[in-house]
Order: sequence, then C-alpha cells, then structure tokens
Amino acid sequence: MASALLGCALAAFPAKAQYGGNVPVSDIDPSIFQIDEKKYLGAKVNADVDLIDAQGNAFKLADKLGKPLILVLSYYSCDGSCSVINKDLSAQLADVTNIAMGKDFNVLTISFDEHDTLDTLGVFKEHLKTTENMNGSWTFATFKNKDDIKPFADAIGFNFFWSPQDRTFFHPGAFMFLTSEGRLARVLYALNSGPQDITLAVYDANEGNFKPSDIAHYAVSLCYSYNYAEGKYTISIPLFVGVGSLSLGVTSFTVSVLWFRRRRRGRKVL
Amino acid sequence: MRKLLSAMSGLVGTVLLSSQAFAAEGNGLAVPNQSWERLWHEVIMDITVIGVIMAILAVIMLIKYKASSPDQLGTAKKLTTVQSIAWALIPASVFMADDFFLAANGWTVWNDYRRVPENAMEIKVTGYQWYFEFTYEDGTTTSELVLPHNQPVVLRMTSEDVIHSFGLPGFRVKEDVMPGRITYIYLNPVEIRETFVQCAEFCGNDHSVMTNAVRVVPQAEFDAWLAEAANG
Amino acid sequence: MSTHTTAAGHAPASGWKEWVLTTDHKRIGVLYLIGSMAAFGVAGLMALIIRLEQMELGMQYVASATQYNSFLYFHGAAMVLAFLIPGLTGFAANYFLPLMIGARDVAFPRINAFSIWLFYFAIVLALLSFVIPDAPDIMWTGYPPYSVTTTGNTAFYVFTVHLLGFSSILGAVNFLVTVIYMRAPGMGWNQLNIFVWTTIAAFVLQLIFIPVLAAAVTLLLFDKYMGTHFYDPSAGGDVLLYQNLFWFYSHPAVYVIFLPAVGILMDIMATMCKNRIFNYKAAVYAGIWGIVAIGGIVWIHHLYITGMPDWIRLGHMVTTLLISVPVGILVLSFWGTLYKGAITYNTAMMYAVSCLYLILLGGLTGIPLAIPSMTVHLSETSYVHAHFHFIMALFSAFALFAGIYYWFPKMTGRYADGPIATLSFWLNFIGVNVTFWPLFIIGKEGMPRRYWNYEMFSDMTVFGYTFQQFNTIATYGSWIIAVGMLLQFMNFIKAAISGPVAPLNPWGSKSLEWTHTASPPGPGNFGDTDVVVDENWSPYEYNRG
Repeated sequence: MASALLGCALAAFPAKAQYGGNVPVSDIDPSIFQIDEKKYLGAKVNADVDLIDAQGNAFKLADKLGKPLILVLSYYSCDGSCSVINKDLSAQLADVTNIAMGKDFNVLTISFDEHDTLDTLGVFKEHLKTTENMNGSWTFATFKNKDDIKPFADAIGFNFFWSPQDRTFFHPGAFMFLTSEGRLARVLYALNSGPQDITLAVYDANEGNFKPSDIAHYAVSLCYSYNYAEGKYTISIPLFVGVGSLSLGVTSFTVSVLWFRRRRRGRKVL
Repeated sequence: MRKLLSAMSGLVGTVLLSSQAFAAEGNGLAVPNQSWERLWHEVIMDITVIGVIMAILAVIMLIKYKASSPDQLGTAKKLTTVQSIAWALIPASVFMADDFFLAANGWTVWNDYRRVPENAMEIKVTGYQWYFEFTYEDGTTTSELVLPHNQPVVLRMTSEDVIHSFGLPGFRVKEDVMPGRITYIYLNPVEIRETFVQCAEFCGNDHSVMTNAVRVVPQAEFDAWLAEAANG
Repeated sequence: MSTHTTAAGHAPASGWKEWVLTTDHKRIGVLYLIGSMAAFGVAGLMALIIRLEQMELGMQYVASATQYNSFLYFHGAAMVLAFLIPGLTGFAANYFLPLMIGARDVAFPRINAFSIWLFYFAIVLALLSFVIPDAPDIMWTGYPPYSVTTTGNTAFYVFTVHLLGFSSILGAVNFLVTVIYMRAPGMGWNQLNIFVWTTIAAFVLQLIFIPVLAAAVTLLLFDKYMGTHFYDPSAGGDVLLYQNLFWFYSHPAVYVIFLPAVGILMDIMATMCKNRIFNYKAAVYAGIWGIVAIGGIVWIHHLYITGMPDWIRLGHMVTTLLISVPVGILVLSFWGTLYKGAITYNTAMMYAVSCLYLILLGGLTGIPLAIPSMTVHLSETSYVHAHFHFIMALFSAFALFAGIYYWFPKMTGRYADGPIATLSFWLNFIGVNVTFWPLFIIGKEGMPRRYWNYEMFSDMTVFGYTFQQFNTIATYGSWIIAVGMLLQFMNFIKAAISGPVAPLNPWGSKSLEWTHTASPPGPGNFGDTDVVVDENWSPYEYNRG
C-alpha cells in the first residue's frame, strides 16, 4: 500500500515558485501518507467551518452532513496526485451500485492549499471531467478563512506539508468517511480500494442505520471486516466458518436417521 | 398494598438519593443516571408485583392442597380446548403487554443515554493493560478524568491492547473499550463530586485494580486544572 | 419396534469392566452422574475459594491474581460444561428418557458409550489444567484478544470445549433418533413426559448451536498458536465476532440447561400433586418450543455494552423480553399443576418447591437485564452474577437434586429421604439465599464481577453497610452451602448402601419408568414383554375426572 501512496504523491508536477523556500530535504517519513486511525477514528471535524463552493457560494460543512460524507482533502493547483485521488474516487463511485450518491451519501473535496482560488478550482474541475454528471452531490470547495485549514486537518490527523525540494505537497491520498454527525468513521486510500470498499465504508459511516429496503446489502456488508493492515475490507472468515458449522448438526442428524432406518430395515428382513 | 410495594421497591431500590437532590440544578438536558434510577424503580415495582402475586398464589396452593392421605388424587378438571387456548393466549397477551410497556420505557431512557447534544465536550479515552488515559480537546493527556460541572461530555473510547470496559458506577453507565473499534459514552455531570472509573471487562491480572479517579468540578476549577495539566 | 435386546444385553463381564465397557444407557447415565458430580465438587471448591478471597479487600488467600483468574475460569467452565449440561442432558436423559418412552436402549448404544468417555477425557483434561504451570485464565467465555495474548494455556480450554461439544453432538443425534423411532408402540407425541420433550428440545439446541461454539474456539486456537488473525482487528479480524459466535451458542446453552430442569420438575410435581400437567399442550408447544424458537435470536443481550448498533440492541431488547412469554407459560403450568392437587411433601418435592421460588426470583431479576438502558449499568456487576446463578445455576442444580431424590428409589431400590436429606436441603436453600441476595444489593450499586479487590468501592455503603460486609455475608452463605452439600453427598452414598428399601413405585407415579420396570431396571429395561400403550394412556392421568 505504501508504494501506491508514494507513487500517488510523487506523481505531483513541479508547482509554482510562489510557495518559496529551497530547503534540500526530501527524506519523507512514510507515516505522513497515512492517517493514524487508532488515534483519530471517532474524531469530530469542525462542521461549522466556512467553505466556498465552485460557484463562489459560501456554505458550511454541516450543510453536507446528515448522511455519511466522503471527505477528500487535496489541492487544486496540481494535476498530479490530487487529481489522481479525485479521479480514482470518481472512477470507483461510478461502479458503486448498492448506494446512491446524493441520496445515501455526499462527497466533498476541499483544498488545503491556502493559495487556491475559484479559478484554480474551476481549472481543476474542468480537468476532472467525470464529476460533471454527479448532479451536485459531489462538491468542490475551498476554505473561506485560511486560518481554519490547519486546525481542521489536524483534528482528523491529516498531515500535509510543502516540500520545496520536490516542489509539491506531501499528504495522504485518503478518502475520509464521516458519519452523519461529522465523525471520522473510516479511512480508505486512493489506488488501494475498490467500489466495494467504498460501499462498505459508507455503511460503516452510517453506524448501522440502514433503510429496510437495504437489508440485503447490509447483511452482505456484515460478511466483511475492515483490515487495518491492508487499509481495505477483507472477508470475515470466522463468520463463514461459524455459519457453515451450523450445517454440521443437520448433517449428522440426517446421517444418523438414515443409518438407523437402514439398520432397522436390515433386522426386519432377518 | 401500594404502600407495601413502594416500601419494597425502596428497599431493593436506590440508595444514591443524592443524585435526585441535584436534579433541579441541571442544565436542562437529560441526565442519564437519573433516568436510570427512575426506570429501575419502575422495573423493580413491576417485577415485585408479579413476584409477590405469584408467590402468594403458590404458598396458598402449597398449603391448601396438601394431601390428607397418600392415596388421595388431584381433582383438577381437564381443560377443554377453548380453556387451553385461552390459558395460553390471555397470559401471553398480558406478558407481551408488560414486555412492550417495559421496552418502550427502556427505549426512552436509552435515548437519554445515546443522544449526544451538539455542544458536548469531546474527551478521548484509551484503555491499556491496566489503566485508562484521557486526552482532552487541546491534546492534553491525563490519568485523571476531570469534568466541568454541567458541561455535557462525550467520551470517545478505544483500546490499545485487549478489551476493557469503561465502567462508571457513579454515572450508572459502562461501555466496552475495544481495539479497532470506537465506542462512546455520554455523560451529563450535573453534580459536583468525586467518583471513579473501574474496568468492567475481564482483562488480565490487574483487572481488579484498574481504576482512575473521576472528578466533577466547577468550570473555573476545571480550566485551571486543565491549564496546569497542559503545562505539567 | 424390534424385539431384539442385543444392544442392551450384556456379556457376562464382571467388576469394573462391566462399567467401562458398558453400552447400557442406565450405566452410562450413572457414569455421567458420577463425572458431573465430581466436576461439581471441584468447581464448588473453586467457588468457596473465590468467595473467601472476596471476603476482604486485597489478596489474602490465593497466591496470585493469575491463580485467582484460573479458579474463576475453572469454576465457570466446569459448572456449565461439565456439571450442568452433562448432569441434565447426560445423566438424567440417559437414564430416564429411554425408560419413559418404553425403549429398551438408545438408538446407538455404542456411540452413547463413546460419548461418555469423551466426556471423561474432557474432565481429565480440565483437571490437568491445574497441574500445568500456565493454567487457562480466560474465564469460561475466552474473549479475544485477551485469550490470544495471555500467557495462560488457552489450548486446554479449546480442547475441553471440543471434547465436550463432540460428546454432546453425539448424544444429541442419538436421543433425537431414539425419541423419533423408538417410542413404545401406541405412544403419540402428546403422551410424552414433559421431561422427554424438554430433553429433545435441549438436544435440538445442542445440535444446531454447539458446532458454532466449536468453530469459534478453533479459530481462537489458530490465532493463538498458528499466528492467524481471525479476531485481530489490526489484520482484518473482528474482536466482536468471537463474542457473537460464542453467545450465539452460549445463550441457547442456558436453555439446554434450563429446559431439562423444567422437565424434571414438571414430572416430579405431577407425581407429587397427583395432578395432570396444567395445559400440557401449551407448555410443550408454546412454552418449550417457544423457547427454542426465540432462544436463538436473543444473544445480543450479552453484548449490550459492546457498542453494537443501537437498532440491534433495541431489537434484542424486544426479543429478550418476549422470552418471558414462553417462560411465563411454563410457570403457569407449574402453578396450575398445584391447583386442586393432592400434594405429598418429601425431599424431591421440597427441592421442586424451592425451584418455584428460584424461577420466580431468577426469572424476574432478569427483566431489568433484558433492557439495554438498565444493563449499561448492571452489566458485569454482581447483580448479573446473582441473577444467572439463581435462574441457571441454582434452579437447574436444585432441579437436578430434586430429580436425584425422586429417582433414587428407581436407581438403587432405596430411599434417599430422611432427616439428613431434609437438613441438607434447608442448609442449601438458606445458603444460596445468604450467598446471592447480598450480591444483588451491592451489584445494583456497581460491585463488579471477577474482582479479587474492590478497594475503589470502599467508601460506598448500602443501608449503612460497606461492600466488604455484604461480601462477608455472601461468603458465610457459601460455607452454609458447603456444609449442606457435604451432608447431601454423604447421605446419597449412605442411602445407596443402606437406605430404607423402597417399593417399586414409591410415589405412585403413572410414568413408565415407575410402572413397568424393576428398581433398578435390568438389562433391556422391560423384561420379556415390550411396552405397548393405548391412546388413553398418559404419564399424568391420575384422576380421569
């Protein structure tokens, strides 16, 4: 997984000089590419934070809550890793069938780069054509106040920094799944997760609340459990072993009935 | 009869009357531990009535129907089909009615326990073998849980090793603390006092001594304490 | 029905061989009785030590917390798995079920013999855990990750469960086939003893659910000794899945114990009241089978404080409360059977009457525990501890003792009743109340289970008394029980050797084991003629009014 993340981050193109600095350090701690889930799961984002969407309208993050929210933190002036992250998400979402975007969950991309503007956002969105047909349930936004950025990211353990040498931001390529009240419920990583992982993470973020019509999908979701080592969902073997073992009693009963009847028939013939 | 019943429920019932004395001071929000005591009284009343009625019936029958000679036979009539069905359905309906009554009340109190108000202060709890650690919103980590008076609090809890359980007998609540999972407890500390948390899920040798102090203090005192903890 | 008696017929072996090689269901039943009583003795001794340690704060009597924990483990595991289940479904079902249905033996006598020896291996294995240096210290529940990371020997637990589980499954298929195919000609389903019904219900539960427990603990073994991560959340496992699988079996296991106990009591009460079972069909089809039907969907009440989604907790609150419907119908049958009866009191009936008290107390105190908003506080306190001892442990153990007194003349030809029996009954009955009532009271205020030290509670008082004082009373209670049990076992041994000789049907029962067999019944149970019953026959028709 680490290599996927690294690739994702290093795919960044050299950015503009305005970021300044020229410190020749590039030994990156790989832990920066991950969110320390042990520490931050359950943490609440600042839902009151003021954001500005692509049309220039102000809104609050809380407006997008009330249902699970997939939160992506990226920056718009790059067309490297950030668009890889967003593109990957949009490609995965296109294959998500059990749950509907906008109805069951929202998606929100916010830039953590204080230099991003409506223009860079527009260019970025243009670049990311696939999100066009998502009827507004995927919002692209920037922070209204740049002082909000760092505390917002820190609250959910999202580390990022500008690497002058690599002339790019280093940051986790993370999809953060928030509950309807804005708590971090699950983190998946770009290029490491499939549509099913995303569906399951949305179920997780839904905290067991599901519509009756969803019961079959919900039941299927119980067959998987999140694997912290791999950063995705894996099948829950004990559940299958447990359910499978239910057949043992029925089988042994059937076998013994057949055996008994056969033996008794044998005796009657004698 | 009613007097007897309330006396009995009082006998089995609460001792911590003090929590009710402070109810008036609260912050207008539900206080789960007070709801707990109310529900406890209700349930104990309910089961005491059933228990006493059934016990009296049994004692009467055990005395009244003692055989006078070893050859005597019971004289109960065989139930007709209609009687059999009635004796199953009517009691079943009565039991179910009581079950649903209790379930509804239990559900209401459950909401008091689980509905966290918007302005609740977040404190992170981490369980280790064999202590709990508390992290406040400003990142300060402490070994003592200090809560500001009348400030709703939500504890977000996880464990670093095995399963523990965050038991607060003084707040009438506990919830397991598990590796890889997040659980929460909502507290509404409307009473200034000193109490404790104890581990309530078997976790090894020092399970019985896994405890931390819990204090509810006035807001000013809390602020001073937190500032000192942050520096210390 | 076959007229062959080969299965039950014995080769003329003598002495110990006659017992070790036996395939006779009655001897196997007696072997189960001896094994389960031995487990009861050792596990009871553990209970005495645990109670002694709790009498004072700090550690006085055990060597270390590890040792204390291993005693807790052994007490729980042995009482449930090696005393209650084998005592009720092993001893009572083996000895009396074939007699009650007019069968000459069980369907598969040799498999039956195999399961008793699996049971003995399990007991030996469990006892061995005392002599190894790293005794299991994981409680009878064995929750991971602790059971995986502990230095204690979890393998002993797993293998004990495997042996007992395998033994139970073999027993279950055996008895189900026996009841389905080997009832006396003419015996319809509505003519069965309640004990027969409760036993097959218990075996249906065993057959369905035991494999799940076996599977769950097997994966635990792999996690601990083979480096797998089935329950390890850091590698895709789920810590709660084990608890779900465990209680998926272990809650029904409560009914595996409870139901045969109900069956024994119904049979005793009908006999001693000379009355038919009140509303037999409701008791069987709504009561017994109602418990089987709902029993599999209430297990989450053991996980009320584990952060399960709210709708699951509230759903299981409703199903758990609804258990009161079938149990209530069984209770009505108990009470109704007393109505207009002709009650004879003897030791068996005294135990049965005490069980009426225990089912009321234990059952009703379970109602707060069915409600998650009550359990958030009561869970893992001595309130829970007292509740399940009353309803599961004491109710079922007292029912088993009632059964032993009731069937003692059948098994030995002698009465076990007498002054010592009466005295030991009262000691036991008073003892359990003295032991467990204080635990209800301090449990409500938070006294935790599985603690050897409760120093944090030393400032708290209830009715002006400290937790320590309540614990001390409870410990005194355990001593009363100890004296009562010792007297009782001495009485059993003495009565078996030199008790007053009993007539063939001392209680005047209508049930086949009393009306058609010798005491004790010989090989083949029913002499030369097979039992045939007519359609008006019933084990409970005393007065055809």
